[in-house]
Amino acid sequence: MGKTIVCQCEDVTQGDLEDAFEQGFRDLESLKRYTGLATGLCQGKCCIAHAARFLAALKGGDEAAADPPRTRPLLQPTPISCFAGPEELSASPASREGQK
Amino acid sequence: MRDRADLVIIGGGVVGLSLAYHLARLGFTDVVVLEQGYLCFGASGRNGGGVRQQWSTEENIQLMKESVQMFRRLSSETGYNVWFRQGGYLFLARDAASAQGLEANVKLQNRCGVPTRLISPAEAQRVVPGLAPAGIQVCAYNPTDGVLFPFPAVWGMARAATQLGVAVETFTRVTAIEARGRQIVKVVTDRGAIATNRVVNAAGAWSVQVARLLGVELPNKPYRHEILISEPLKPFLDPMVSDLSDGTYFSQTMRGEICGGVSDPAEPSSMETRSSLRFLERMCRAMVRVVPTLANVRVMRQWAGFYDETPDGQPILGRVDEVDGFIQLHGFGGHGMMLAPIVGKLAAEWILRKADHALFQRYDLGRFKRGEVQKETFSIG
Amino acid sequence: MARARRLDRSSDNPYPHGEQVEFQYEGRPMLGQAGEPLAVALLAGGVRIFGRSIKYHRPRSPFCLHGHCSGCLLRVDGLPNVRSCRTALRAGMQVERQLGWPGSGRDLFRTLDWVYGERLDHHSLLTSSGTLARMAMGFVRKMAGFGHPPTAEPGPPAPKRRMSVPAVVIGAGLAGLHAAVELGQAGHRVVVLEAEELAGGRLCDASCKLAGATGWAARRELLSRLSALPGVELRLGTPALAVYGDQAVLQVLAAGPDETLALEPQRLVVATGAYAPLPQFEDNDLPGVLGPRALDRLVCGHGVLPGEPVLIAGDAQETLELAAALVERGIALAGLVTDRPEPELPAQLRTAKVPRVAGHRILRARGGRWVQRVELAPAGRETPDLVLDCGLVAAEAPAAPAFELAHHAGCRVVFRSALGHLVQTDAEGHTSHGQVLAAGHCAGAGSAEEARLQGQRAGLACALGLKDEPGLRQRLAALKA
Ligand SMILES: Cc1cc2nc3c(=O)[nH]c(=O)nc-3n(C[C@H](O)[C@H](O)[C@H](O)COP(=O)(O)OP(=O)(O)OC[C@H]3O[C@@H](n4cnc5c(N)ncnc54)[C@H](O)[C@@H]3O)c2cc1C
Ligand code: FES
Repeated sequence: MGKTIVCQCEDVTQGDLEDAFEQGFRDLESLKRYTGLATGLCQGKCCIAHAARFLAALKGGDEAAADPPRTRPLLQPTPISCFAGPEELSASPASREGQK
Repeated sequence: MRDRADLVIIGGGVVGLSLAYHLARLGFTDVVVLEQGYLCFGASGRNGGGVRQQWSTEENIQLMKESVQMFRRLSSETGYNVWFRQGGYLFLARDAASAQGLEANVKLQNRCGVPTRLISPAEAQRVVPGLAPAGIQVCAYNPTDGVLFPFPAVWGMARAATQLGVAVETFTRVTAIEARGRQIVKVVTDRGAIATNRVVNAAGAWSVQVARLLGVELPNKPYRHEILISEPLKPFLDPMVSDLSDGTYFSQTMRGEICGGVSDPAEPSSMETRSSLRFLERMCRAMVRVVPTLANVRVMRQWAGFYDETPDGQPILGRVDEVDGFIQLHGFGGHGMMLAPIVGKLAAEWILRKADHALFQRYDLGRFKRGEVQKETFSIG
Repeated sequence: MARARRLDRSSDNPYPHGEQVEFQYEGRPMLGQAGEPLAVALLAGGVRIFGRSIKYHRPRSPFCLHGHCSGCLLRVDGLPNVRSCRTALRAGMQVERQLGWPGSGRDLFRTLDWVYGERLDHHSLLTSSGTLARMAMGFVRKMAGFGHPPTAEPGPPAPKRRMSVPAVVIGAGLAGLHAAVELGQAGHRVVVLEAEELAGGRLCDASCKLAGATGWAARRELLSRLSALPGVELRLGTPALAVYGDQAVLQVLAAGPDETLALEPQRLVVATGAYAPLPQFEDNDLPGVLGPRALDRLVCGHGVLPGEPVLIAGDAQETLELAAALVERGIALAGLVTDRPEPELPAQLRTAKVPRVAGHRILRARGGRWVQRVELAPAGRETPDLVLDCGLVAAEAPAAPAFELAHHAGCRVVFRSALGHLVQTDAEGHTSHGQVLAAGHCAGAGSAEEARLQGQRAGLACALGLKDEPGLRQRLAALKA
């Protein structure tokens, strides 16, 4: 026990962030790659904001130093079968009643 | 930042860093590596980490054999685990031409001491559970190929080189190179200038732009190459699987993700780095064709990097005619990760005149003018 | 520690609840209500530990209940890593926990957490020799990965539908719904994508108050206005997964319940709201520590109270309203912990006997398998001066706007220490990308009122981008004033 968890998907701790900064990983892209934060099943939803605050604070409140890392699809893990279907279904919109 | 150096390396990718690391190990440390982004910004931080010895020319096979040995040592040498796992490579041939190609390659590889075997689709199912055998003619399997985790390989070489005395400057972009006559005098960056007479162009997909700073035209073309990973799952896939019919490849990372890509003949040359829906769909279809049960696995993330391609699929290594002391190390296409250790080592020896390696004549830029090209036919992805 | 219990539900509660059904949890029968999230049924059934974390094997349990974290992952019907807070309960479901030996409940690998009390640096683990490094690899490969590969037989791939539409709105929260209403009223066709089964976003929270009305009432009113507009198509349970900007047309990828959508809108409004990040204190990941909106949804929405008394930490207006909503439902509060010395309290809290601890923050959570107490310290101090027993914690954390989808498209996203990463917009909601607008919490809105206003403006600006109309321009100007 006794850990402050920053990223709960990859078990990254506050200590890991501090160590990474010490090792010279001082931008969000590197911090992410070195600690693994934001690379797990939630893809950073719960941790990237904290990492940004951590970094900006250590860089003397420099907010520009904490621009987000490049965001890549997908927003949430989704089965391969959702994308393995045939090219096209139809171009017409589905009218789906009772959806509202 | 240092304002002078014996040698400046442009590009802090795995190739530039491997050179820096091996120069430093040979005691030559008056070297600055310049990287415009963070470490791992280029292709070296975006690749699939595949390392194979299954090639179609003796030279490439021998080089990759060396690289495999070097990757086995890299973790303990640099103190960073690169997680090089030798789970093998399994190639699938679906047509007669590919099958014959595999047969010929396997003979050559065996002569070079690489234990590749031709196996039937039924046997391949034992190596890859869930493999759909329909339509596969024959497979080639070498258990000593493998995959590694690219980031720590890059960080490890950077840190080891730094500890030996090399300077690695990140977020430092080269904007100009000044020359007097045939001699380089200065490298200019957005953080200041470095006086030097020797420059190595290890700028990967950006090498054309870097060469142009000295008026040298390269035939390389950058192509976007996309890749994806799945949710992390308990280990179930040992080898890298590669389908020769469409250039699909995928393996399981040390974290348990299925990671892979597919080639796209329709991809134009560009510096596009955004992701595409087209790739996501093509890759998902391709994976399900090879292993249908993957349909239930979730895609977690996709991203893109560059293949730095040359006309003959071989890298460009060595001097150029126009300028002295301007050394080229680029054009590694889809296999620069696996070539980097050995090429970095040989280049260090050659630059320091510790040894002469024919590689740096045979694969120089001049070969295109001389018409001496020998195509490597076994590139994937 | 009190047992989990179910509360009475009020008639205006929008959350679904069906008849009682039986399902299998770790091979044992368990009861829940059909249609409620599986995670909720399990918490109601007394399940505390849902799984184990990847590295230190710390216990994991739902934290966000909005599909954003990884606390509730389970193996369901042969599929690994299923977010149980996003999965509606059905009779006969087979549910198992993941990770841990011999199991997730009692897991011997937890010793790793204690052995590596400070941290385990996997980068340098056993790198002193090549042989050791290869041993490290064998070990790490064994431990790696979340669930076991799927065993369920894959069905046919989902059909894909490609559609060109004038406008797409992502997110049916306050901002997104208002944007859609404006677009619909202007006569445009618009597809609204909502990840959840329930539209409304924050309007579903009991702590949401809008101009005096409850969020639930405002939600009903807004949805009935929306359903009267023929051009608006609301797609529930259809998370937008990506926005691709590498082609001439924008492509919005979404996964519906039975088809995959590739929408090609002329204009896109991103109204994705915000996430609840982990609050930062020692053992912040202990089961029983939830985000305020998760607790709101669990207790006030689904009527499930897994522990009591409840400790609330935070002084945002919604957090205080949440405390008031709990008091209103007769739930015992262990304390209301606020940073600020004297926050303005809702009426119910002023009269109720709630132990208030002002000028304090949580230093650490304590408990083995579920939170039992928290240690509090005055601002700026690292030693606790107060310990409170509790059975459930809701702790606020600084904002984390859901900027990702706009970022996919290439919109400029900036960082502000107070607000997090937010999509940069002008007063009308235009982002740096000509076809994309953003509104609500993802664009930095601080309150429900502000989110509503931003949604309206972005909807109007979006409509104007599709077709110029003086009437709309006037309305937009009025809204900006
Ligand atoms: C998706 C993908 C998958 C791949 N899979 C594999 C695989 O499985 N196995 C394999 O062996 N290879 C693979 N590759 C190929 C491999 O990644 C590359 O060949 C290799 O990384 C090339 O290394 P490099 O150092 O030449 O280039 P890079 O890593 O791109 O390094 C060049 C560096 O130069 C820097 N630079 C450029 N211009 C300037 C300037 N003006 N100033 C300062 N710095 C500059 C760049 O920022 C960059 O970091 C893959 C590539 C991709 C994109
Ligand atoms: S994702 Fe389900 S609790 Fe957070």
